[in-house]
Amino acid sequence: MKKFTGVWGIFEYLDETTDSIEQVRKQGVQPTVLMPCPRHEIDHALGNPSSIVPWIALVFGALGCLIGYSLPAWTASDWVLPVSGKPIVAIPPFTIIGFELTILFTAIHTLLGLAILGIIDSFRFPIPNSAKKYTRFQRDRFGVVVRCDEARIDEFEAIMKKNGAEEVHVEKE
Amino acid sequence: MGITAEYNETAGKVVIDEQKGHPGIRATTLGYGQINDEMLAMLDKPRPSYYLLLLGFLMALGLGALSLAIQIDVGIGYSGISHPIAWGFYITNFVFWIGIGHAGTLISAVFYLTRAPWRTAIYRSAEAMTVFAVMTAGLFPLLHTGRPWLAFWLIPYPNERMLWVNFKSPLLWDVFAVTTYMSVSIMFFLLGLIPDMAILRDEATRKGKKLKAMIYAPMALAWRGTNHQWVHYMRGYLIFAAIATPLVFSVHSIVSWDFAMSSVPGWHTTIFAPYFVAGAIFSGLSMVLTVLIPMRAVFGLQDYITNHVIQSVSKMIIFTSIIVGYAYASEFFIGYYSGSPFERAIFYYRPFGEMQSWTLLGDSQINFPQIAFWLMVFCNVIAPIPLWRWKIRNNPLAVWIIAALVNVGMWFERFNIVGSSLQHEYDPSAWGEYWPTIVEVGITIGSFGFFFTLFTLFAKSLPPMAIMELKEASIPPMKRTEKGN
Repeated sequence: MKKFTGVWGIFEYLDETTDSIEQVRKQGVQPTVLMPCPRHEIDHALGNPSSIVPWIALVFGALGCLIGYSLPAWTASDWVLPVSGKPIVAIPPFTIIGFELTILFTAIHTLLGLAILGIIDSFRFPIPNSAKKYTRFQRDRFGVVVRCDEARIDEFEAIMKKNGAEEVHVEKE
Repeated sequence: MGITAEYNETAGKVVIDEQKGHPGIRATTLGYGQINDEMLAMLDKPRPSYYLLLLGFLMALGLGALSLAIQIDVGIGYSGISHPIAWGFYITNFVFWIGIGHAGTLISAVFYLTRAPWRTAIYRSAEAMTVFAVMTAGLFPLLHTGRPWLAFWLIPYPNERMLWVNFKSPLLWDVFAVTTYMSVSIMFFLLGLIPDMAILRDEATRKGKKLKAMIYAPMALAWRGTNHQWVHYMRGYLIFAAIATPLVFSVHSIVSWDFAMSSVPGWHTTIFAPYFVAGAIFSGLSMVLTVLIPMRAVFGLQDYITNHVIQSVSKMIIFTSIIVGYAYASEFFIGYYSGSPFERAIFYYRPFGEMQSWTLLGDSQINFPQIAFWLMVFCNVIAPIPLWRWKIRNNPLAVWIIAALVNVGMWFERFNIVGSSLQHEYDPSAWGEYWPTIVEVGITIGSFGFFFTLFTLFAKSLPPMAIMELKEASIPPMKRTEKGN
């Protein structure tokens, strides 16, 4: 992975974190934020980012539904068992299989999607190893990571310090 | 998830709620770090009483394993199941344990969608119960087949004769419903654990416990808590909640159709799906209280699992008790109103035994189904009535006794449905009697041992409360508020 160049800061307070995010964004850079739990305030400050997870769920749910109806229909047609003149391909009982496979496919692929998106995002929005080793982001601290050219490091360092960052770390190649 | 602070766009800052925390989760007034510390303290080395409790459950599990070995070695003929009663304790246990699982999904998914704040403190434990209960339930149909090693025949796979399973059979619907339910419950449970595993990993690293950190690291799946991870995670979690909601209602409906699709008197009724779902939630919530009230006392979790939480679950128990009571009554009415002598006969047989001996006193005709029926009515309809009183709901010991009684009642309800109808079908010459054998009783006790052993191990190895959600529900650290700005 390419070495990280930029600035990252540690914040104790949520409002100082959101102020810092907003000011970094005003400079045309989208920061990565580390937080101990999801906060709407941070989402708002980041411009309400969205996720493609619902689309993954929809596509694979539809696939599950298709398989759930077509598998019983195909097997019933493959080995025909006539019972009292009842339909061979019967929609009501196959709806149960269709429903269950819709749910199953949605669940499996949502989880897989989350894992794969996590891997992709770790390449798209890298964070420095020193930030990964800082253990209090899972406890009680917020982190703002700004990836930028060396020329702009001072600018973002100043923003973080002005907004009350406890620590600011500069990473250069 | 309780909203204790809201972002006010006009003010440009977070406006803190005047009310400090939510009554359901008093711990919302704690800081993020404190929540971590208190939750991790629960995973410290257990006291000797914990091992004693675990030993008790392991002994029950051992009894079950021994009975299971005998049952499999000798064959299904060693059980009390025989013509005409093909479904006995095993199917009763299956339906009972599947029902127990429903409360976990209800609390973790349905109450997540309805934003019930009190769920935060109990959903992880309830969800773990779902996973363990469904695992327990899943063993019974396999055992009931008599040759569990051939259970893979239930799965539609291309075999050498190209014979397929019968997708029109309710028993196969069950295979799909239960396996889907188990898979989704396990995935939902693991999904909720990911951020907490990262907390355990980083706290272990912070305290210099390298071995623990190494164990937790792979389970955390490289979770760092970045905004990118959170945005996908929260959407994914919402989708899981949204799909688990119809799933939970479908599973017990499908289980009920195992019965309702047949033409057996007492089973062939359209009320079964809602009746079973309400019963499942009723029994599951009772099991949640049966387990969590002692756990709250042992771990000193009064600040997390508050009386408000117990009261809220109790209210749900009252609600489902009424539905179940109504279902019992309407079954009798429909039995009478149908005009069918066979329906009328089974609904006379359930409470009173054979027609010619209607008196309960000194009558040899009273056997297991009648005992099951009256226990069911007492435990499920009468015992929860005191919960209407606030004082009773606010007394954890009283609630625990009622919840335990409901568990007993719900097991007997399942038996009442499964056992009595088969004993008393159409032709009197084909009537029969069912008494369980020692192996069936042993396996039933073993199933409780299996469930409680897993839960006891869970309570000390994984955070029994969702740390991340407790933090989300708590008041965030704000500098401007501290300054009075």
